Amino acid sequence: MIDRTNLSLLVLLPAAAIAGPAAAKDYLTVAEAQRVLFPQAEAFAKLPITLDGDQLSRIKALSGVRQREKQPQVWRALKAGGGVGWFIVDDVVGKHEFITYAAALSPDGHVLGVEILSYRETHGGQVRDAAWRSRFKGKTLADPFKLDKDIPNISGATLSCRNVTDGVKRLLALHRVALAGL
Amino acid sequence: MRLRALTATAAMMLTMAVGLDARADENLFGYVKGAETLPKGAMEAYAWTTVRSDKGQGHYRAVDVETELEYGLTDRFTVAGALQFLSIDTSGLIIDGYLPKAESYAMKPSGLELKGKYNFLSPAKDDIGLAVQATAEYKWRDPHSGQDKSTLSANFDLILQKYFMEGQMIWVGNAGLEATYADRAPIAGLPAGFDWPTDPEMEIELKAGTGLSYRFAPNWFVGAEALYETEFETEVGQERWSIFAGPNLHYGGEKWWATLTWMPQLAGGGEMYAGQTDTNLHLIEKTKQEVRLKLGYNF
Repeated sequence: MIDRTNLSLLVLLPAAAIAGPAAAKDYLTVAEAQRVLFPQAEAFAKLPITLDGDQLSRIKALSGVRQREKQPQVWRALKAGGGVGWFIVDDVVGKHEFITYAAALSPDGHVLGVEILSYRETHGGQVRDAAWRSRFKGKTLADPFKLDKDIPNISGATLSCRNVTDGVKRLLALHRVALAGL
Repeated sequence: MRLRALTATAAMMLTMAVGLDARADENLFGYVKGAETLPKGAMEAYAWTTVRSDKGQGHYRAVDVETELEYGLTDRFTVAGALQFLSIDTSGLIIDGYLPKAESYAMKPSGLELKGKYNFLSPAKDDIGLAVQATAEYKWRDPHSGQDKSTLSANFDLILQKYFMEGQMIWVGNAGLEATYADRAPIAGLPAGFDWPTDPEMEIELKAGTGLSYRFAPNWFVGAEALYETEFETEVGQERWSIFAGPNLHYGGEKWWATLTWMPQLAGGGEMYAGQTDTNLHLIEKTKQEVRLKLGYNF
């Protein structure tokens, strides 16, 4: 006799049948993002930097969010021996995994561009759309960086949008505290 | 019956394992609810299995299975429909008015549920997330005794959710009210004087729950949740109250998520059955132990 419990469990198994391993969503390498954000640059010089407690506090005060990494990944974009901007790779909390993105900042501290390197969440892949990322261009620390105000929200990915938005503002704060004047 | 329950759990674990390489979404808690809704056009399928066991005497094990499909009508409003199944194995314990006889059967359809959830405030965008959920439920099997019993319930939940540490830690708080109209079918051959009322009755249940979850590694959350429930019934006034609390473990990927929760009853009161020795628990409609496995798949 067929076990009716096992038969009834069949209602649960179609979901398993359609499950398949998903590829990690790594869209750009660091080198690729550097070329996209600074096409004019001839070289990138990694800047070894360690933030002290005072700098971390000032970044939080300026941006409203904490700087997790004491040693951020920062490169100076170079052309003809001079700096044309800063390239920073950063992680923010996504719903389940960190979102890795890169921001290009001008020497005077405004956003030149943002690229998503890794995004693995169920919804909200639109954060990779050029139209959404373009909303960051030209922003400075004086801008509000508020979802549904100067940055549009993406439904189903509000946490990711908020954290990328806060993250870009935090990198502008990092620029003011640790990079401006170098 | 124990073998069947284990088979059920093994099947669910297999289901989870198949999806483990995938990346998924949501439902950090087994019992308490979060305030977020699906985006417009998104769909999510759920499968829950809850094992309720141990009433202090005799043998009691009930397995509830629910399969649910949820759809985002708008970015703030989701609707869902669910089918419920019940299997039960009880013997060696008779409770006047509640557990009339030994019963044992494998999974049978037991109920239908319709839900609507509206998000007023987003936990990621506003200072605190706020949603309300309304549920209509029709059951034709008594989840406690497994006997024929028609119940029509309306449930209303207020849901709060707050993100901390940029979303790495999540708190939720729930408050709910459920009104139930119940009508039992007569049972032939009960002992003389056994109370099995077949007149319709009304029950009101109040619920409050809270939970905290922390992402300790990419895709993995550990948390704890607690649920207080009390029920008031036509004849006896406050029929029961109970506090269940326990840990949970959640895995979330891009398409799949799974949550396993262990919820022992920590305290309870109200009515007790004759000869009940665990006098600090409610064991007529509740059990000492509950374990729930929830699986979700995002379309």
